[in-house]
Amino acid sequence: MRRVTGFLALATATALLAAGCGSGTSASGSGDTGAPVNGGILRAGIPGNPDHLDPALSYTNEGWEILEATNNGLLTFKKASGGAGATVVPDIASAMPTVTDGGKTYIFHVRPGVMFSAPVSREVKPSDFKFSIERLFRVDSGGVGFYTGIVGADIYAKTRKGGISGIVANDKAMTITFHLTQPDGTFNDYIATPFAFALPKGTPDKDISTIPEWRVATGPYRITSYVPHQSITIRRNPTFKSWTPDTPDGHLDGIDVKIGVTPEQSVNEIADGQLDWYFESVPPDRLTQLKAQYPKQVYPFVRNNITYFFMNERKYPFNKLDVRKAVNYAIDRNALVKIYGGQGTPTENIIPPGLGTAYKKHNLYPYNLAKAKQLIQQAGVGGAAVTVWGHNTDPTPSAVQYLAGVLNQIGLKATVKTFDESVYWDTIATQKGDPQIGFTDWNQDYPEGQDFIDVALNGEHIVNVGNNDLTNTNIPAYNKRIDQAKRMPLGDARNAIWAKLDYLYMKNDAAWAPFMNRQWPKYVSPHLHGLVFNGNYFELFPSMYLTQ
Amino acid sequence: MVRLLLGRLAGLVAVLVAISVMVFVIFNVIPGGDPALRLAGRHPTQQNIRQIRHDWGFDQPLYTQYFDMMNHLFIERDLISYQDQTPVLPAIRRGIPRTLSLAIGAALIWMIFGITIGVLSGLYQGRWLDRVLTVVALAGVSIPIFWLGAVLLYLLTYKYHSWPVFSWIPPGGYVPFTQDPAGWATHLFLPWITLAVVSIGFYARVVRNSLLDTRHQDYVRTAKAKGLSPSRVLVRHTLRTCLIPVVTLFGLDFGAVVGGTVILIEPIFGLEGVGQYAQESVAHLDLPPLMALTLYGAFFVVFFNMLADLTYLWLDPRSRTT
Amino acid sequence: MIDAPPVAAGGFRTALRRLRRNPAAIVSAIVLLMIVFACFPGAPLWVSHACNHGPSDQNIQGTITENGHKVPVVRNDGTPIGPGLRACYLLGADSNGRDLFVRILYGGRISLEVGFISAIVCVTVALVLGILSAYAGGVTDSAISRLLDLIWSFPVYLLAVALATAFAVHGIAVGPIHVASTSLAIPIVVIAIVYVPYVARPIRGQVLSLRRMEFIEAAVASGAGPVKIMLAELLPNVASMALVFLTLIVATNILTEAALSFLGVGVPLLTPSWGNIIEQGYQTIVTAPWLTIAPGLAIMITVVSLNVLGDALRDALDPHARLRIRN
Repeated sequence: MRRVTGFLALATATALLAAGCGSGTSASGSGDTGAPVNGGILRAGIPGNPDHLDPALSYTNEGWEILEATNNGLLTFKKASGGAGATVVPDIASAMPTVTDGGKTYIFHVRPGVMFSAPVSREVKPSDFKFSIERLFRVDSGGVGFYTGIVGADIYAKTRKGGISGIVANDKAMTITFHLTQPDGTFNDYIATPFAFALPKGTPDKDISTIPEWRVATGPYRITSYVPHQSITIRRNPTFKSWTPDTPDGHLDGIDVKIGVTPEQSVNEIADGQLDWYFESVPPDRLTQLKAQYPKQVYPFVRNNITYFFMNERKYPFNKLDVRKAVNYAIDRNALVKIYGGQGTPTENIIPPGLGTAYKKHNLYPYNLAKAKQLIQQAGVGGAAVTVWGHNTDPTPSAVQYLAGVLNQIGLKATVKTFDESVYWDTIATQKGDPQIGFTDWNQDYPEGQDFIDVALNGEHIVNVGNNDLTNTNIPAYNKRIDQAKRMPLGDARNAIWAKLDYLYMKNDAAWAPFMNRQWPKYVSPHLHGLVFNGNYFELFPSMYLTQ
Repeated sequence: MVRLLLGRLAGLVAVLVAISVMVFVIFNVIPGGDPALRLAGRHPTQQNIRQIRHDWGFDQPLYTQYFDMMNHLFIERDLISYQDQTPVLPAIRRGIPRTLSLAIGAALIWMIFGITIGVLSGLYQGRWLDRVLTVVALAGVSIPIFWLGAVLLYLLTYKYHSWPVFSWIPPGGYVPFTQDPAGWATHLFLPWITLAVVSIGFYARVVRNSLLDTRHQDYVRTAKAKGLSPSRVLVRHTLRTCLIPVVTLFGLDFGAVVGGTVILIEPIFGLEGVGQYAQESVAHLDLPPLMALTLYGAFFVVFFNMLADLTYLWLDPRSRTT
Repeated sequence: MIDAPPVAAGGFRTALRRLRRNPAAIVSAIVLLMIVFACFPGAPLWVSHACNHGPSDQNIQGTITENGHKVPVVRNDGTPIGPGLRACYLLGADSNGRDLFVRILYGGRISLEVGFISAIVCVTVALVLGILSAYAGGVTDSAISRLLDLIWSFPVYLLAVALATAFAVHGIAVGPIHVASTSLAIPIVVIAIVYVPYVARPIRGQVLSLRRMEFIEAAVASGAGPVKIMLAELLPNVASMALVFLTLIVATNILTEAALSFLGVGVPLLTPSWGNIIEQGYQTIVTAPWLTIAPGLAIMITVVSLNVLGDALRDALDPHARLRIRN
């Protein structure tokens, strides 16, 4: 999930998901001193409209940051930064679910007394959760993929009638039961994403972002107005009463979001005292100066990201293993990190370091241009024409040009093609578009190796449209090991398989050329404190507070 | 006159229809433009994509889709964008005051300065002032407008922002006039200057040449012979006539600015007007707003051209008498 | 009385004489020649003699020695080295460690080529359409005129961006002709199409007035066929107009190339053009302003020269003509 905007808004990005939870480090720096103060309105800025303010539809950082403050699910990721934020804890559920039937049945008890805000103004019932998940299928949500493992979801996706048989809600007993077709170690994570947040029964089957009476809140804040291309106004939810320390009261009285602020403008306005906080990270080129000038106002936020070049195994010349290895040898990862303003750590792994034991550092491809040239010769593909694809959000065009330059150096004939970021991801995910090699990155949807290895490399998922296996990698033996791991409970044993596969894919397949785990530094006003960067929901508005 | 007007209006409608068909066709042959994928998000199931195709009518024949879109645009007036599914028409309505604030303000500046400089230049024909103004005029039209905006923004709101002369200039954005007239003007100051600089010189040239032409016309000589004071001759007779081509040009330019050039300026200053909306939609290959905005832009181009023609007929004494 | 064709062959000689007396025209012609020299033979000469860095040679991890100190070409935070009096990196480097001065020289080639070729295509198409339309009249005239109206009403940048995007993924494939999506032909074609009406309309007007003149009627009477009349009689008489337009259109097209590249749909990256150097440089205008300012100045100087020259040419050929193109 990412939305990066170039200085210029020439490149407003799309929604990619990556709700990274469990990221590595987080909110450090800063002059957070003294106890939090209540009150005040946060002046926030955002480059463009958030994709949606409907929990069923939003699939971007911007949307989730806001929805985390306004709505709730059965479970939640702990409202903390770093590794602690990767833990799933009860929210509207009174406790963690009881898992039976060999991991195929999840039973939740719903906490009584949690209220929907006006005009619905009633208690949240188990049937509201069932309704909300079924609604995902009816509004064509991008998040349905997380819930297709529920019994009956497949049929419901087609018929949209009669409900999903595998979700049983009992409003009297205040319980809701999910039956899965097979064990799934990450089901609790899915339940904690905004897609599974509670909306009241009767919510229309269309985007509620701009329908005020249906933007019903359960959390500490509610969206009081949304004028696309202009502003979002968020105020305290008067019906909210904190029911667990994991869903606390907010400190701010509200948030005024100004839409259409470019990243450069945000830096200038924050320095001028006209803005407190901005949705995007600092433009890479401004960072050095800001760090020197306002060291206490710059926060280095890290999330579980892998930034890499993908090579399409179905396309000449990358159908040859030697060529793919050559690319891995030929890129100088330190040079690429420089292109990103130093905002990242070089890596050769698929899995980011924030995923605990699933990450086991390997160093198979030390920078070696001579070796790369020799491998290209060996493969007999010298002079092959290659088009490197990338999107136009800075500094990706520089990275793509760097790669093209390197490919030319090792004996290929490279050109570059860039697309607006909002179109790019859809284009590369379509077999018809079919790039040979290109830039991509992945930010976790949930903090688990599966989200990297299974999503991007399991050949069983190759499809013609909406394909996440950009490299078209399909190694049956590895696919089988992935499927095995997916059924295992979370933990070290499962992580060990991810770590092993990471190594094997890089050594024997090398369709990825990973180069960096990227960071997103933030610059905020000197009055703003209490910044917490959660890997899943990103920045948490309820933790923020303003001082004079 | 009425027939002429009706004929022109019919032409306007025909052009708009043709343009809408063209836009529709162009955007339906773009491979990256498949909106179903975008609507599906990043974890779509195949079923999901098929369902979206069906729900949004992308599986219908193209002509059905076209009429459907026209229906939502003109009759139902509830067209929504593929990118973020926000309503298109309210977004355009909100953008119009911003774009018009930019265009009208800049037009005032370039007309006032353009005419003043042009008249001075014409009165001092052949002297150094005239020559300098000629070069300045051509330099103005030779600047890439987005570059000028970007460099001014950098110099005045960043590099020399600490200088008291520039410190009042905000780093972009827009404030509605009704909310804060002073803020409105300060926010629009740089965009106005940027847009005006490109045209001032050109208008000065046109006014100058036109002035030189008319000064030697018969009726001006007659007026002089009748003993009217030179300044009176200039204002009452010469200026009036020499502004005719300027008015025509202004019609064309104003249409072109509102319908097109703002695309390059608004994003630089973050004005979020119609131009920025157009630039974002075209970058996102977002057909619904793009369709609405292209028709809007074309309307301005054609409409102001028509207005210019009619004004010409009305202003030109020769065409009126005949 | 027989009205003479407006500008005959002798007219060009007169015009040339007038041009030579115009100091502004001479200065701008010299400046243009210098720019063309710097970009075409000059660029490789600079690379082979002054500094051995090609326009696409990257040097992110490299260092240069200045005042006895080793200075990185690109700092760890991504900021490239600035301008300085040295053979390499005279105007500094970009974020890929490429030599900005060399890129501007090579970028000028592309910008001038795109500007010039698209202007020729544009004026040629406009001549064909304009002459044909005015001479043939009737249905042909209406059809061509409506087509021109249509293109002309389409907001320039929206049309250009729409076309460029349409071609961006798979290029253009019309029958046996296939143009790759990264080809320079795409911005050239797009820019040429957009400005055709601006040239074709006045040419049509000119031909309409020429048609009524006696020398055409005489040619028709002597039994000359329509093709011969169009080529031998009409074309030479609109040539001066076309020439003035050509100069002005080259100027406009250079600006349009820059604008399209700035909007991300112009000349593909990796091949430097003045427009896409600005586009990339603009992303770091605060830390490396020269990456934006220098190519912009190059555009401005070139376009001013072309405009001054075109202006003088117009005065010399036909002092009463009022031609203009809105960028």
